[in-house]
Amino acid sequence: MLVTWAYRVRKSLMGSFDPRARWIFSFAFLISATQFWDARFLVVLFVLAFLWYFSARVPFKETRRAWTFVWFLLLIMIVVNTILTGGGAGGVVPEGGHVVWPNGIPIPLTAWHFHFGLTYERLWFALCQILRIGGISAVFVIIPFSMDPRSYGVTFRGLGFPDKFAYSMELAFRYVPTIARDFGVTVDAQRARGYEVEGSGGGIFKQILRTAPLIVPVTMNSILTGEDVANAMDLRCFGRGPRTWLYKLEYHWQDYLLIAFSILLLLASLAIVYGLKLGDFWVPEFLIRMIS
Amino acid sequence: MQNKSLWKFGTREVVYSAIGAALYAVLGIATNFLQLPSAGNVSFRPAVAIPMFFGIAFGPVVGFIAGFLGNIIADLVSGYGFWVWWDLGNGLMGLVAGLMAFSFVGFKTQGTLLKAELFVILGVVVGMGVASLSEMWVSGADINTVIFGNFIPAAVANLVNGLILVPILMIAYDAVVSRSGK
Amino acid sequence: MTMSHLPLVVENLSFRYRRREELAIQNINFELHPGQVMLIAGASGCGKTTLMRCINGLIPNTYNGEMTGDIRLFGKSVKEMAMVEISQTVGTLLQDPERQILGSYVLNEVAFGLESLGVPRGDIIPRVEKALSRLGILHLRDRETFGTSGGEKQKIALAGVLAMEPKILLLDEPLASLDPASAHEALDAFRVLADEGYSVMVVEHRVEDVLAIHPEVVMYMDEGKVEYFGGVEGLMQVVDYHRIKLPAQVVMDRAHGQKQEKTFEATIRPQVGNEAELVHFDNVRFQYHEDSREILKGIDFKINKGDVIAILGHNGSGKTTLMKHTLGLLKPTQGRVLLEGKNTRQISVAQAAHTVGYVFQSPTQMLFAPTVKEELAFGPKNLKMSEDVIEKNIQWAIETVHLPEELQTPPLALSFGQQKRISIASVLAMRSRILMMDEPTAGQDYWNYTAFMDSILQMPGFDAILFITHDVDLAVVYANRILLVYDGQLMADGTPYDVLRDEALLRRCRVLPTSLLRANIEHYPRLGQFHRAETLSQFVS
Repeated sequence: MLVTWAYRVRKSLMGSFDPRARWIFSFAFLISATQFWDARFLVVLFVLAFLWYFSARVPFKETRRAWTFVWFLLLIMIVVNTILTGGGAGGVVPEGGHVVWPNGIPIPLTAWHFHFGLTYERLWFALCQILRIGGISAVFVIIPFSMDPRSYGVTFRGLGFPDKFAYSMELAFRYVPTIARDFGVTVDAQRARGYEVEGSGGGIFKQILRTAPLIVPVTMNSILTGEDVANAMDLRCFGRGPRTWLYKLEYHWQDYLLIAFSILLLLASLAIVYGLKLGDFWVPEFLIRMIS
Repeated sequence: MQNKSLWKFGTREVVYSAIGAALYAVLGIATNFLQLPSAGNVSFRPAVAIPMFFGIAFGPVVGFIAGFLGNIIADLVSGYGFWVWWDLGNGLMGLVAGLMAFSFVGFKTQGTLLKAELFVILGVVVGMGVASLSEMWVSGADINTVIFGNFIPAAVANLVNGLILVPILMIAYDAVVSRSGK
Repeated sequence: MTMSHLPLVVENLSFRYRRREELAIQNINFELHPGQVMLIAGASGCGKTTLMRCINGLIPNTYNGEMTGDIRLFGKSVKEMAMVEISQTVGTLLQDPERQILGSYVLNEVAFGLESLGVPRGDIIPRVEKALSRLGILHLRDRETFGTSGGEKQKIALAGVLAMEPKILLLDEPLASLDPASAHEALDAFRVLADEGYSVMVVEHRVEDVLAIHPEVVMYMDEGKVEYFGGVEGLMQVVDYHRIKLPAQVVMDRAHGQKQEKTFEATIRPQVGNEAELVHFDNVRFQYHEDSREILKGIDFKINKGDVIAILGHNGSGKTTLMKHTLGLLKPTQGRVLLEGKNTRQISVAQAAHTVGYVFQSPTQMLFAPTVKEELAFGPKNLKMSEDVIEKNIQWAIETVHLPEELQTPPLALSFGQQKRISIASVLAMRSRILMMDEPTAGQDYWNYTAFMDSILQMPGFDAILFITHDVDLAVVYANRILLVYDGQLMADGTPYDVLRDEALLRRCRVLPTSLLRANIEHYPRLGQFHRAETLSQFVS
């Protein structure tokens, strides 16, 4: 089994920012976006998210799988939750509203009408959900494609996490290919003993039990490895004092700019919502007028 | 081993956190054989047993990092993005299960295994509960959707896998421990 | 230089692990001078690992127990030294470089210790580069560690130790994962370091290999005690040559005139004349992906009934890839493999497993069941054998590997050597007609592997046996046919005498001749057969 990271080295605007600044922006965006249900603000954030997304210059081909996943999620949220069951408001959409089919939908060839309580307000809310989830997704979907997995340890150290936690990250990335290779060996070794990976049916319990001959050896072998790894680290004085991180991240002017922008974005959002009391769910006048 | 502090984080804990995370990621991708199509972020992964087992064997901090970081890494490899509240939920599963670490003698006595099953249930409920509730905040779903669309499928899938595989791993690990004589 | 300033002095050292009754080592006394290479030999469990842990500080920093006596490093007792100080005096290379390497990149790995010590960033890079140049691997600086070869990994790990600038090097079975050619390169590097003034302690089973760099002193340990300490010559006389492999000439001299040892006779013999073809490799080529390196470059040969084949070749030559094709775990990119006339593309691996039993190298990568018995039943159950056949096969398999008393033990609770034998038994229990083993002797004591190789070769029921090995002597003693693989090609295929007498060819293929091989070649014209050293001595005057 071969594990490859989604990340590729490429020259891009996003790539010119320090990873720490990018994390700060991403979380500032997440917190800001979750403050609003007002489409006017959400549109701004949505545009900002996609400007950010495209600045990574990752071709769609690579991210297709992630977006399929996001759309699938949105579909459930919107179609099932907001449109069909009508619960999607989560207390945001006020009770009542303008029903789309006040007389029900005629069922062809019968005299019956199907009564479906969908309101224009809920449809509008669905649009807001698309903007909000879409924007947040854009900011976070791009991370694996644009950030070198091996920079995680030093990045999180740089963000103020303790040495040991940050080093755990480094080490985890180091062991991913090793464990993937070991897993491949175990699969082969068990197949040589007549084990068939594609199970011949059976119930769900049997299916899970069938993974034991793969999961148990790989796990125990890794734990045994861990004992030696820990010795190797102790022998080279791990954790006996503050650690030097060989790779050093340095902020440049554009990073300060991005961080300043992130803080501003966050403060502005909070000010709008808690200071000006704006940003709650809002249905445009023209929509209401059009309906009436 | 008995008088070990629950929250200690020394070299061994650093190593087992890292190995647990790498294992969870790799096995999660490799054994993700049954996708439950009805549930958003939920998939049926036998590997969820890993963070909970690592929690029970090496403590709550190790369990947390194995789950949290493992889930992040799995998404980094599959290119699914970064979903911090689900990562956190996975971490909490390992952390809560890990609260029972060092409180027992022998990994395969019936008492220990029973206790482990209990903590697996607790871990899954807390972890998936927190992650699902975050969906309300992020996506604006209502409580029913969150319970039926996220929490129940995720919790059931993880419970079934955890309840079956965690004891199997504990029994195997008992032999490893007896060999090293520590 | 006074005694107290010697790099290492060990006095009356004894140690008992906290949870153990018996002493792991007792009353160890020795000293080590600058520039010396010291070889520590002994079978598994003799206490050499514990001794190393006492010297490098893992005891008492990581492992607890009761220590008496003293260890002094340059006159200072280890009891007064912190780990930070010890680690800059004593550098340790662990057995498996794969596990010692902590960094994703070579540069990170070598810098690890310096980073831990908090050395300023500006000083780290020059020290890393110095350590890399010293071992001649500066060109690997920016490579990923995962993709490097076994020999390179070891040098990288050693560079990581050297970067901390210790004066004493402890090397724990440094040859275990290397092929003979890489092992000799590594040994040469150790010698050079000693000549530059380091004190080097090598713990190693492969005594004969280490002798090539002329260790100044040798220590032989057994059951926690020092059985011998002194020069190489003396060692040759005191060590039991059934337990530790010694150079062939030494064994022959010592065995000569001793009472008749039972000679070894394999049950499988080549069937001259009516060759029954079991496996046929028909111009097999293989690569993982279209744009990746070709691993097999046109392999052509047949396995016949009665063959005992040793596949020799350096690490990465394609030996394992070749074996995996026999079972259909890999399918050829071009050409075909026929298993009893059936193309492996058309049958499943599970079907092929009825005919071919394949024992993988590392037992820990396959053992999973709660008891040995269930472990042995796994294969036969997958092959849908009936209950009583399974029961019978398990009994037979477990007796073959001499572990019948362990049927109810969890396999993971056994020692590594026993686990290896269980992994072999788990394949034997499938009663396949062809047995294939990848490095059957890796990580095993000489005494152990000789015993089970003997019993497997004397076991009825196999049509053919194949094994991959680095150990030329294993091929000399057990094989009746040799396949020599180099860089994905079959360089030679024939009887041991025909293939192995061509020393130039062997060296070209990075396979190194041994003293046993040379002795056998010398006597072959008269004996017409290869023998182990003890047996050889009876025919030679």
